Formats: sequence, structure tokens, C-alpha cells
Amino acid sequence: MKYKILKAIDVSGLTFLAPIVRLATGEEPDVQIRAIMQMIVVPIVAFAVFVGLWSQLAPRHKTKSGEVPTPAVVWDAAQGIWTFHAREGDKETAYVLAGEQRESALMAAKDRLAEIDPLTELADRQVADAEQEKSAQVAELTAPLRTKLAVVSERYGADQAARKARWMERADRTAVSDTDARLALLGAWNEHDLRTREEREELKNLRAEIDTVGAQAFPALSAAQKAQTAIAEERQFLRKRIEVLTAYNRNEKARAGEQQLADLRSKYLQADGGAAMAGLAANIARTRTRVESIRESNYARPYTLPMQILRSLLCVFVGFLLGSLIAIPIGILCGLSPTFMAAMMPFIALFKPVSPIVWLPIALIVVGGFIPDPDDHWLINGFAGLPLVGWMKINPAFLASAITVALCSMWATMVNTALGVASIDDDHTNVARMLRLSARERLFRIVLPSALPLIFAGLRISLSVGWMVLIAAELLSSSEGIGKYVWDMFNNGASDSFAKMFVVVFVVGSIGLALDRIMIVFQRLVSFDGAPTAI
Amino acid sequence: MAYLELAKVSKGFGPPSQRTAVLADVELAVDENEFVAILGFSGSGKSTLVGILAGLIDPDEGDVMLANKVVVDPGPERGVMFQNYSLLPWLTVEGNIALAVRKVMPGLSRVERAEYVQRYVDMVNLTGSEAKCPDELSGGMRQRASLARTLAMRPNVLLLDEPLSALDALTRANLQDEIVRIWEEDKRTVVMITNDVDEAALMADRIIVLTPGPRATLGPSFDVDLPRPRDRAGLNRDRRFQALRKRITGYMLNFTKTQAGDEARSRRRMPAIEPRVFEAA
Repeated sequence: MKYKILKAIDVSGLTFLAPIVRLATGEEPDVQIRAIMQMIVVPIVAFAVFVGLWSQLAPRHKTKSGEVPTPAVVWDAAQGIWTFHAREGDKETAYVLAGEQRESALMAAKDRLAEIDPLTELADRQVADAEQEKSAQVAELTAPLRTKLAVVSERYGADQAARKARWMERADRTAVSDTDARLALLGAWNEHDLRTREEREELKNLRAEIDTVGAQAFPALSAAQKAQTAIAEERQFLRKRIEVLTAYNRNEKARAGEQQLADLRSKYLQADGGAAMAGLAANIARTRTRVESIRESNYARPYTLPMQILRSLLCVFVGFLLGSLIAIPIGILCGLSPTFMAAMMPFIALFKPVSPIVWLPIALIVVGGFIPDPDDHWLINGFAGLPLVGWMKINPAFLASAITVALCSMWATMVNTALGVASIDDDHTNVARMLRLSARERLFRIVLPSALPLIFAGLRISLSVGWMVLIAAELLSSSEGIGKYVWDMFNNGASDSFAKMFVVVFVVGSIGLALDRIMIVFQRLVSFDGAPTAI
Repeated sequence: MAYLELAKVSKGFGPPSQRTAVLADVELAVDENEFVAILGFSGSGKSTLVGILAGLIDPDEGDVMLANKVVVDPGPERGVMFQNYSLLPWLTVEGNIALAVRKVMPGLSRVERAEYVQRYVDMVNLTGSEAKCPDELSGGMRQRASLARTLAMRPNVLLLDEPLSALDALTRANLQDEIVRIWEEDKRTVVMITNDVDEAALMADRIIVLTPGPRATLGPSFDVDLPRPRDRAGLNRDRRFQALRKRITGYMLNFTKTQAGDEARSRRRMPAIEPRVFEAA
């Protein structure tokens, strides 16, 4: 049992769990505790130090989009993203609800709305109180400064007027012929001017100091505002939900349409004359089509981050698959034939360093050429018909992003496959020769199995490269996905956009980590002892 | 009429300008169902000789003849048991044997093949380890698996390339007996390469010495006229065995002496120690 668990841990590469299992079974506690300290405690402490430094340093840097968000703000933003996603899901189901389910959902929404109405007032009052408290506190804090400002500014005003008056007086007394005196006066004016500017600067600094005190963070106020926003958002959501459950509901709209249809039919039956009947007949046909399309319709749900993550994952897998389907056969041919390798070398060397930013526009144009009408193309329709991924609305931008992923990520697989096939052990070749295996048997029974660990090492690199490339490609191609989400956040300038970008950093990182782990497991499963895997 | 023959075989390595001739004018004739041991120093071209016999290495000159026909390519009728086992590490013991069986006997059904493989697994005493991969086996077990694979091909000629040199003494003795037992049950032509005089004398019908390289060639052949089954423990006291061993060792030491003399003359002074032959009491 213990060894089975340890074996599984080893295969999955989660080696940090091994000492815990060993400790639980009482094996050399000293050694295990040291291992746990090193493999678990140290990383956790390091991460805690990082979070601490982050929360200390972030607020000190002011940007156009506000302060750099602290970990707490980022956490709130993550929750906000999830709430938005859940509420959109609610609306989507509300749109198609019918009968009793709709009734009870409606009741629940109305109840909740009634519940939070007093809370809204409370929150508003709290915000007002906090604001008042803040202004009082600010007034108190700035009182000495403001007094000083008033005094100083008055004094400087008087000083300036007096200086100017003195100068005028001297000027009046200066004769035209007295050039020296006039030049001296010019110097005196400059001096006066300089003084005036210095005084103005001093006053400006004082005012800035007062402003700084006023702009200080006021935790009570921000907390009250946060509560107010949360309630306002829920209220808005509930109102929308009620709307989607009543007038906007699919079945309600269809019923209204049916009603209209019945009216029209009875009118038609009573109508006089061909012209009137024709008009009504056309109207009936139109209304019927409309009702039918309402019955088929779904809530026009905006993309939320969780959906975009799924779409990005699909995109990276499509690209990865495409890249592997190209890279592995070419890699095998390169490994088998030095001549073919020599023929491929210039292409590999030339195209490998090309950035995804260059591939993407080219891919967009080429894909656009193949798919002139995205609404009616067999490939797009084919994707739309698939289960699980049909809702993702595969479009040319998605395909171009996937192709970019393929073009950037396939090289690692290709080179590793070639290396794996070329470096097959002579002993194994001798076995194949002795058994007189055919070319096919040699490929599938000897060459590929022995190259498999290296092929998988290449695939692992390809997938992580592809995941990095994909975010950039989506950002540039506006293909719905994580990259587009970042771009939208960069452009929309909402107060929490900056924090949401930080959320994306952690999401992208965690998914990249998970993908790499999965590939490690595959790599370990196909590896035999002594296989070259350390790449 | 010899069954397996080498006729004036030469092989060298390296570019033409400074080619090192490893084997020169090798003549060998092995009768059908004869067990021949080729005894050689390390680096004298023993593995090259096996490679040529198996068809894995093309000789520069001369031919390999099997039943009076020149053979060029390797094939399953000359089964090689490699020095370093050469098992495919991604297949189990069973898979390694089955791969050979599938190729040699394509007509077998799945069940027949499994039975056939099992018979050879049992023959080399690997029962119970069929589903293990080579890296889970000890050196001796790997060599048994390799032997089973080679035997399962039912080769007309069995070529053993220092099959036991990497094993510890006990396992080695064990496998020596095993190979002889299997050969006695199911006679076929065997050429075994070894560097151990005792091993050769214990197992073979005839011992041929490979002179040291470069330009190694086959020296005199010594018939082993000891009755079978041979008793490992009793052999050391057997007069005929002692005489045979003395002759062979003497012949080989002669080479060593000449070589040592050559080296002393050419490069360095050798210590004044002379190897001696200690006879068993």
C-alpha cells in the first residue's frame, strides 16, 4: 500500500508528498521532517514573504490606473470575477425556465430583493456617515496647515504689494538721464520677481500637503463603499434576473407571441377582401417564424473569465495537436534519414526563432482566405456541432491563434523526435536486423518505442511554449480567451481592472503548471529505465 | 562436410590510409551440432567475429557459408545471444520473446504463441517473471531472458557472444550448466565466444584460440575429449582436463610473453616478473 502510494507520487512528480507518506508510516522521522521542512515549509515561507513584500510595496506605486493592487485587492477581484460568472449563469438558466420552476425562481428573487432593500439604505447611510467622519477628520488634521496657509498667503500678498509700491516710488524719482539708477532698478525688479515666485511655490507646497492629508486612505470609508457597491451590484442583478424571468423569459415571450398569433388568426378569419387577407396572412407567417425563433433562442451570455479559460484550453490543445501531427512525422523522417534532416535543417533553423507576433497576422490572413464566409463554412459548422465545445463559437481568429501556437511550439517536438529516432541503440538495431523485421515493424516495434521518452520530453516543452504563445496570440487576434480578457481589462479602465490582470497572472501560471505536471506523468509512463528523459 | 564456415575472412576498421586490420585470413569450419568455443584475449576481435558470423558486420574479404551457401544478411537461423543482453527495455520478458516468435513463426495463433513463449520461459527457469521489464531483472535473469529469446527463434546456429562475462561466479556457473543442459536436450550448432579457459573446457566439444590482434586470426584447435555430462567439481581433478588446460594456457601465455617482449623493446621496461602456471594438485 505504502509503496503503491509512493510509486504513484513518483510517477506524478509530486515528490514533495513523499516525506509525508513516509512520516505517516513512521519511517525515519528525523529524515522525513527535514525533508518536509525543505520541500514544503521553505516554499510556503518563501511565498508568504513574497505576499508580505507585495502587500507592503504595492500601494506605494501610484499609476494612471490607480495603486498597484495588494494581494487582498487581487483576492477580491478574483471573487468578483467568479460572482459575475455565476450570475451570468443564473441569468442564462432563468431565460429558459418555464412553469413552476420559473414561478419559484421569481419568488425567490423578489424575496431577496425585498430583503436587501433596507440593506441598501443602511449601506448608503454608512457611506454617508463614513464620508462625514472622514471630512471631519481631514478638517481636524488639516486645520493647523490651513491656518498657516491663510496667514502666510496674506503676509506674502502684503509683502508683494509693499515691494511693488516701494519700487514704483523709486522709479518715479529716477531721472531719464540717470542710466545707472534705471539699470539698478531693473535688477531690483528681477529680485522682486524671484521672491514672488518663491513665495508662490511655498504656498503651492502647503496646499499640496493639505491635499495629501485629504487623499489619505480611509479604511472605514473604503469598506463602507465596498459594501455599498456589492449590494448595488446584487440589486442590479436581481432586477435583471426578475426581468429575465418575466417579460424577457423565452417561454413568456413565446406565449405572448402565441397570443398575438391567435388574435391575428381570428382577425384573418373575419377579414374582408383579398388585400386585407393577404396582409394578415403575411403577418401571421412572420409572427410564426418569430415565435419559432424565440423558442430556439438562448440568453446572449457575455464571455466570462472561466469560459474564456476553457476556450483558451481548447485553443492550445488544437494548436498543440496540429503542431504534433506535423512535428512527429517530420521528426521521425529526420531521425531516420540524415539526408532528409539536411533538407529540413534550413527550415528548422530559419523558422524556429520567429516570434508569434509575426506568425499571427499571417495566419489570420491565410485562414481568412480559406474561410471567406465564417457563418457558413464546413469547418466552423463542424466545430459548432460538437458536444462540449459547440458553445465556444470557433471562428477564424480562434483557428489563426491555434495555428500560431502550432507554428511556434512544434519545433521542440520535431527536434526531440529526430534526436530520439537517430540515437536508437545499436543493440536494438541489431536485434531488428537479426529478426529481419520489415521497415514498418522496425519503425513501430523498435524505433518509436525507443524514441518515445524523448518525443514526450519534446511534447512537454511544446505544450508549455504553446501556452505562453497562446495568450499573446489571443490578445492580438481578439479571439475570446484569456489573452483577450487581459486586453479588455487593459482597455476598459474600471477600478478593479488592474487587479483582475493580476488574477490572470495566477490563473495562467497555475494552468501552465498543471499542464506541465500532466505531461510529466505521461512522460514518466512511457519511459523505461535508462531512457534519456532529462531534457 | 562443415556446416558453418568462414573462408579467408578479413575485417578492418578506420579510414583506408590508416586502417587497422582486426581480423585477417580467418578460417573456421564448424560441424553440424558441434559446440565450439572460441577463446580470445580482450580486444582481439571476438565480437567482430560474432558480428561477421551473424551477418551483422560485412567482412572486407571472404565469405560466410552456412550449409554450403554463402550468407550475407543477418537472419533468425543464426541466433545471437548478445554480450549485453540487448533486450528491448520497453517490452516485458514475454514481449521480448514474443516479438521474435511472431517473426519466426507467423502462423501461430495467439494462444499457441503464448504457450510457445511460456515453454521457453520455463526452459530458462524464468517462470514467474514473464511480466517483468528488463530493468526489474538481475543481470543473470536478463541473460536468461536473452537466451530464451534466442532459443525461441529455433536457430540452426547459436552464436553466444561472451554470454556470461558480466555475471558473478555463482550465476555464471549456474547458467553454464543450464546452457549445456539445453544444448544436450536439443542439439544444434553452437559457437561460443569466451575468455575463460575453464568455461570453454567445461562446455565445448572443441576450443579454438583467437590470436591477439591486430590482425587476429584463429590459431590451433584443441579437441575436448572429456565425456559428457561433465562434472564441474570433478573436472579439476581430471588428468585429461588438466593436460588440456595446461596446453591451452601455455599456448596463450606464449603470446603474452611475445607481446610483453615486444612492448618492452618498443616502449617501456616491464617489471621482471614472470607469470607461472600453477598446477592443481
